[in-house]
Amino acid sequence: MASTASGNPLRDPRDRRLPRLPDNSALVVFGVTGDLARKKLIPAVYDLANRGLLPPGFVLVGFARREWSDDEFAAFAREATERGARTPFREDTWERLAGSLRFRSGSFSDDAAFDGLASLLAELEQSHGVRGNAAFYLSIPPTAFPVVLKQMQRTGLASNDAAGGWRRVVIEKPFGHDLDSARELNALVDDVFTPGDVFRIDHYLGKETVQNLFALRFANTLFEPIWNSHFVDSVQITMAEDVGIGTRAGFYDETGAARDVLQNHLLQLLALTAMEEPVSFSAETIRTEKLKVLRAVSVPDDFGTFAVRGQYSQGWLAGERVRGYLEEADIPASSTTETFVAVKLGVETRRWAGVPFYLRTGKRLPRRVTEIAITFTKAPHLPFDVTDTTELGNNQLVIRVQPDEGVTLRFGSKVPGSAMEVRDVAMDFLFGEAFTEALPEAYERLILDVLLGDATLFPNNAEVEESWRIIDPLEDFWRKTTPHTYRAGTWGPAAADDMLGRDGRRWRRP
Amino acid sequence: MTTLWDTTGSAVVKALAAERRAAGALAFGLALTLVVVVDEQHVSQAESAATAAAAAHPCRLLIVVRRQIDSPHPRLDAEVSIGGRLGPGEAVVMRMSGRLALHAESVVLPLLAPDAPVVTWWYDAPPEKIAYDPLGVFADRRVTGTYAATDPVAALRQRAEDFVPGDTDLAWTRISGWRTLLAAAFDQVQASETAGPATVVSEPGNPSACLFAGWLQARLQVPVTITDAPGRKGIQGVRLAVGDGELELARTDSRSAGITRTGFPTRVLPLPERGLGDLLAEELRRLDDDVVYAEALSAWSQIPDLSRRPLHREHIWRDPALEHTAATSPAGASGRPGAAQRSGAAERSGKAGNAGAAGKGKPTEPAEVAEHAGATPTAPPAAS
Repeated sequence: MASTASGNPLRDPRDRRLPRLPDNSALVVFGVTGDLARKKLIPAVYDLANRGLLPPGFVLVGFARREWSDDEFAAFAREATERGARTPFREDTWERLAGSLRFRSGSFSDDAAFDGLASLLAELEQSHGVRGNAAFYLSIPPTAFPVVLKQMQRTGLASNDAAGGWRRVVIEKPFGHDLDSARELNALVDDVFTPGDVFRIDHYLGKETVQNLFALRFANTLFEPIWNSHFVDSVQITMAEDVGIGTRAGFYDETGAARDVLQNHLLQLLALTAMEEPVSFSAETIRTEKLKVLRAVSVPDDFGTFAVRGQYSQGWLAGERVRGYLEEADIPASSTTETFVAVKLGVETRRWAGVPFYLRTGKRLPRRVTEIAITFTKAPHLPFDVTDTTELGNNQLVIRVQPDEGVTLRFGSKVPGSAMEVRDVAMDFLFGEAFTEALPEAYERLILDVLLGDATLFPNNAEVEESWRIIDPLEDFWRKTTPHTYRAGTWGPAAADDMLGRDGRRWRRP
Repeated sequence: MTTLWDTTGSAVVKALAAERRAAGALAFGLALTLVVVVDEQHVSQAESAATAAAAAHPCRLLIVVRRQIDSPHPRLDAEVSIGGRLGPGEAVVMRMSGRLALHAESVVLPLLAPDAPVVTWWYDAPPEKIAYDPLGVFADRRVTGTYAATDPVAALRQRAEDFVPGDTDLAWTRISGWRTLLAAAFDQVQASETAGPATVVSEPGNPSACLFAGWLQARLQVPVTITDAPGRKGIQGVRLAVGDGELELARTDSRSAGITRTGFPTRVLPLPERGLGDLLAEELRRLDDDVVYAEALSAWSQIPDLSRRPLHREHIWRDPALEHTAATSPAGASGRPGAAQRSGAAERSGKAGNAGAAGKGKPTEPAEVAEHAGATPTAPPAAS
């Protein structure tokens, strides 16, 4: 990344007190009136400003169809901030930020609106010294991507050379709905922007615990020697939600759990768990290793047993009666969209051959939890009497991503008393919320990384395409089937339990 | 919470273990032990700052209050709590009086979290030499606050004389915000534009301004002057020549500062005055030595190669009672009479060192002795 900072005499790599601030730049949000912008992006920008992590010349430009003035946009942004910001709302911080808010109204097919946007960015060069630096956040439905990208190409908004600074684009999932559509989208985005300037947001990777996985694995000597098929029996990655589909009926019914969560979040967590050590901690080297793992992922032979879909029916959850998926508003009664998916994958490398990776995600499960559980093999020989160790299970290392971020280690220990009895105990390391409340939220971290041009936490086009290669055959198979039903408030359909039962294992209750 | 009156170090260790058991399966990563040395009258301020810092860094908090060093009976009172008023972690407040105050380490050492780094923070003015305080000798990081001294600039100079890598002063922490903004402003400066002479505008006698000047001198190799702006609090701004123009960073109010550069629009950015808790939390973020601080201190004090000094300090035993016998010398007789009435503990860990530093720029032993003359008249030298 070209940056004027490299020659800055006041910067010293040993000086870790000084946070790196991005270059002067503009963040242009398309679809700024949408839910994501209102709930996450605008509050995150305010939080960054409040923490003093935005550059001297920073401008937030909103673009949407509404006929708003800058002031009306500022009022909207203020309300969003007051509701969603994690840091306390301060009038003076807000006043400063409000002076750097701009709004342009127009539809995506409106040439004049984009010409206006281009000239606005040129003006900001004078007023804020943005030096042609701009990041475009596409917080819009994927169907609108082509027209917006074409507009940016036409007006030269996407060109680093024409702008004389950097131009970056941020896109949210879904990155297509299958391999072909993903390729098409990638080709389009990478053609308008240069591939290195495209940032695909997977907000899970902005979470502290996920980054801590790197530290846990690669900064310690303790875990790496046993991080392979000699010692690991199986891996379970769970992302459970207690909520239903909320107001996203239209989107969700077209997408389903596999495309919504499995294709991106779960496969990224799998990649981080299974990847080899990168040669250095940089975007390129980490992506190389993640891509190697994703390429090595294999799907099971018997989809009928090892790729289970489920759909929640009505039931009780957390003391309340909840509706079934088919009774949700705007869901057709004949829908075969899954709200739960469990699948057994393999990683065909020397390190992982024969170790099953069980991935599952679902809505209306008993509680919200995301975790990676690594189950180790049993000791090859136990010098105790058989009756002494009946309560001893497998050793387990659990990385709790949310909530209660932390690590649990489960191992056998003697039951206090005169007899020799061994049973499992859990040792909890709580990277507790008590200590992390000051930490930036995932979106803050990711927006900052975009402005800094640090792509370490963003999957690239090859990873996205490779993930679809894994999902596509499953989707093909499922198209002909109907999902199993499970009662809301349970841990998924019985078929998911049978899937592990066949392997002589069972799901961990998170 | 357990409160122990007139107790022993072993009882405190036991009480902490009992509290840990009572807290149940509480296990968070214990990253360090923070030892806070504070005088009785500032305990609550020190506690709240340490609690705020402990909320950001999982640590064991040990607060040591030395008082009534001249009391004939050594005595230890302690309060042990986990997840109570002193934040989510483990905390022990210890009040030591009598001769015990001179041997605080005997109580503190067994309480340190096993093999975790130790940070010692003096809330009040720093000791004249850190080696005099055993609580500073075993610490991996030592945090002082020259602001609390009678003459902060002299105290800062003494910090430079006494410097060992791993020492930092909160005067340095206070300017992180200024340095961040100035570095950000410099990000926009082209390599062809060289920096010229600089001026730091500040209230008179501000140690942070000294370190700011030292840092600019060390990084930019330009002459830096400090201009007094009487009547205002803290640093007011910094000006320097850049290329053909000038770059100025000036405080606009207590929460922000403006960046002005010839040929560019003025920008106002957040520059909050941070509380003690925030400053301490920043110090706890790094447990290795701060080379950049050493260089800034070195550039300001003109004492070369501070960062290359050996890492280790030997404890220097200093007994106020012994100094009492030495105080029969003529220098001792010239001591201020008021000193005798004040508590010895406060004198020793606090103002004593700097009263000397303030007077002559470089403290001398006789002045030090004078401070303690009569402060501990009853303690026999053999008691230690």
